[in-house]
Amino acid sequence: MNRLVKPRALFIGLSVLCLLATWLSLALGPVSLPLLDTVRATLRLVGVPIPGEGLEQAELIVGQIRMPRTLLGLAVGGVLALSGVAMQGLFRNPLADPGLVGVSSGAALGAAIAIVGGSAFGGLPDAFGPYLLSLCAFLGGLGVTALVYRLGRRNGQTHVAVMLLAGIALTALAGSAVGLFTYLADDATLRTLTFWNLGSLNGASYARLWPLLMVTAGVALWLPRRAEALNALLLGESEASHLGVNVEGLKRELVFCTALGVGAAVAASGMIGFIGLVVPHLVRLLAGPDHRVLLPASVLAGASLLLFADLIARLVLAPAELPIGIVTAFLGAPFFLYLLLRGRH
Amino acid sequence: MRLSTRLVALCAGLMISHVSVSGESPQRWVSAGGALSEWVSELGATSRLVGVDTTSQHPESLKSLPSIGYQRQLSAEGILSLKPDLLIGTDEMGPPPVLAQIRGAGVPVEMFSAEADLASLEATLAHLGRLLGDEAQATRLFQDYQQQLQVQQQRVKQIQTTHKAPGVLLLLGHAGGKPLIAGKDTAADWLLTHAGGHNLATHTGYKPFSVEALAGLNPQVLVFADRSLTGEAARKALIKESPILSVIRAVKEGRVYEVDPTLLVGGLGPRLPASLKQLTTDFYPAVSADQ
Amino acid sequence: MLRTDHLQVRRGQNLVLADITLDIRPGEVLGVLGPNGAGKSTLLAALCAELEPSEGHVWLDQQDLSLWSGPERARRLAVLPQTSTLDFAFRVEEVVGMGRLPHHTGHARDAEIVHAALQAADVEHLAGRSYLALSGGERQRVHLARVLAQLWPGQSGQTLLLDEPTSMLDPLHQHTTLKAIRAFADRGAAVLIILHDLNLAARYCDRLLLLEDGRVRALDSPQEVLQPEVLKAVFGLDVLVQPHPELGHPLIIAR
Repeated sequence: MNRLVKPRALFIGLSVLCLLATWLSLALGPVSLPLLDTVRATLRLVGVPIPGEGLEQAELIVGQIRMPRTLLGLAVGGVLALSGVAMQGLFRNPLADPGLVGVSSGAALGAAIAIVGGSAFGGLPDAFGPYLLSLCAFLGGLGVTALVYRLGRRNGQTHVAVMLLAGIALTALAGSAVGLFTYLADDATLRTLTFWNLGSLNGASYARLWPLLMVTAGVALWLPRRAEALNALLLGESEASHLGVNVEGLKRELVFCTALGVGAAVAASGMIGFIGLVVPHLVRLLAGPDHRVLLPASVLAGASLLLFADLIARLVLAPAELPIGIVTAFLGAPFFLYLLLRGRH
Repeated sequence: MRLSTRLVALCAGLMISHVSVSGESPQRWVSAGGALSEWVSELGATSRLVGVDTTSQHPESLKSLPSIGYQRQLSAEGILSLKPDLLIGTDEMGPPPVLAQIRGAGVPVEMFSAEADLASLEATLAHLGRLLGDEAQATRLFQDYQQQLQVQQQRVKQIQTTHKAPGVLLLLGHAGGKPLIAGKDTAADWLLTHAGGHNLATHTGYKPFSVEALAGLNPQVLVFADRSLTGEAARKALIKESPILSVIRAVKEGRVYEVDPTLLVGGLGPRLPASLKQLTTDFYPAVSADQ
Repeated sequence: MLRTDHLQVRRGQNLVLADITLDIRPGEVLGVLGPNGAGKSTLLAALCAELEPSEGHVWLDQQDLSLWSGPERARRLAVLPQTSTLDFAFRVEEVVGMGRLPHHTGHARDAEIVHAALQAADVEHLAGRSYLALSGGERQRVHLARVLAQLWPGQSGQTLLLDEPTSMLDPLHQHTTLKAIRAFADRGAAVLIILHDLNLAARYCDRLLLLEDGRVRALDSPQEVLQPEVLKAVFGLDVLVQPHPELGHPLIIAR
């Protein structure tokens, strides 16, 4: 069969793409900085001792605004793509999406409670506001996923089909709860909720970045170690068990990694869709379904794709910004339809 | 942390030197609030505005300025690319991390109250006056405004000695669809009450109503504000989307009036007195316009 | 070696398997026969720990089956199910390669084993192709190669359980597959195979287990088990039993 790209070429290509995306994310933006200034500012930022006269603006824009944003984009893109791979493995279906286990709708519910509840109590204090929102979103995502997981467990076994239905039901329930909060919200709170639902890398700061970076690193280092077991899981749960895989444990890990990863990503940047669905597909089209290649390649591809989407979001309406969820939907939905029409390879 | 402290010190230093070169008051303003932008124009400083948000639609000339987007989803780099000396906006501006980034770049961020009352307006105008270096003009503007409102109050009071306040509802919609009714504690309520109407809605904030409830309240006057359409098109769309409206008194008697939705956000704006006057005339057609 | 002692399996109130005592010996192919619903697949499931018996035990090499750790068990026991649902475009050799998961034999040795297993299952010519592009019979043989690779080269102490491995194969491949399984047993592995075709069972199995309503009807050599009266009683089929002209094993001819 013709796989388009060999693994080595794929990794080299994706790494180059990721570096390019990172560079463009640092170098381009509504404020136009001379290229050399960006280079020098970046070097100084990572600790290279170069003289810094005349670089104040570049250091500010690159160091305080673009760099945290780029890191956020890399982490969110990477962890969303990884979670997509995990879910497609868990449900043994290439059309699965991290949202199936309820983490996205749970996070949306958590955020709605924070936004609407907060304004009902006289507004969130400025210092706490963003942290409280992120925390509520994260807890909401974990909470709903935990519930979905529990519902899917029977006699010490996790029934994936039951989990799927539970996920659908809880997503619908969370959706109506969010609807209720939307009703209770006033105009301004409504707008905030809407924008949160559309996702954004705006306002990234180093302080809020660390939890997400740690979670992403954790998931990105852990999942590839389970690559062969994940391959076996695709044969079927009993087949994988006969090959010696601890299937229940693996399923638990997959759900946990997804809940943690997507929960943290959504808490940091709102809801950004389609990365988890589309990126693993793209990588499979290029290099096949072997998780030993798919997992690391998806991290690179997801990170690059999100950064490119963010560039579009930042530049197309400058000085205003388009919510990034709109860009990923615009890129992702047509691609997804194309995949469906094309049928399975 | 060391990096950012150093940067802030550098930028603060830059800002001070910049300000001392250009004079006392900031020259390049970015405004994230419709009413604020209007007041800046009233104070004669339109030329200082280099960027405005999506709610700043008056005067017309503002529409040709670069748009910084929705006031609650500002972009730090976007605003900084306009090289501003000052960012003004209501306390609804955000998100807070972005404001912190803008401050960190040495651009002062001044927040104003969005409450719809005279005390807030006085503070707002005084603050703007200070920033423009012309407090006297700001005070004059406020006193003038206050006086206009007083005249309006007296007119309403006098009318209400002989005429009963009409039952009114205000609908806020989007291309006629999904209208929200303005309840208590909204700028719309302030508008209706100060124009001499009696707001039939008793809830708080903007809420959607079932059209039957609306018909049940049967207001004598209907005021609407549409975010995307104006004039006859808006009126037609409203009736089209909710045909049952045609049974209420206000529609049958043709007493459906429009207000500009930008009047309802961001605090008291300069165009309010004129709107109030017009609304009062609409509410009490039996009384002649100069009474 | 795999054996059971008075094994009993219940589903709800129903007794699906009762009082099954058997052992699968190294170097032997044990065929399991019986009409639909006799409990053949249930027996297989109990023998590979997919089902828990309500009474009795299953022993793998002197230790209770449930006490073996996953990879340890996988190095001794392999199972080929009747159907497979793989929905991803792995290459044929990648699917077979998954059989080496429980082992730590390294890349090079694994590649050799995969190659040998592909040959044994007669799917070497399919190497490089996508699994999804194969026919049902080809897929079945790929999975056979996978379980062969899992226990390669097959020796005493290893057990292979197969659930109707020839159901989708054409006549030629039915025989080549069973010959490969036979060769595996000849190297020392213990094999249990569920079959529907009585003649294939007669030819390739050393002993036959005839199940009826969840109980052992007969457990003996093909000559002893495949008697017309027994077959009529269990399957309701009128048959003639003749010796195969060249090989001598029983040949079942429907009347």
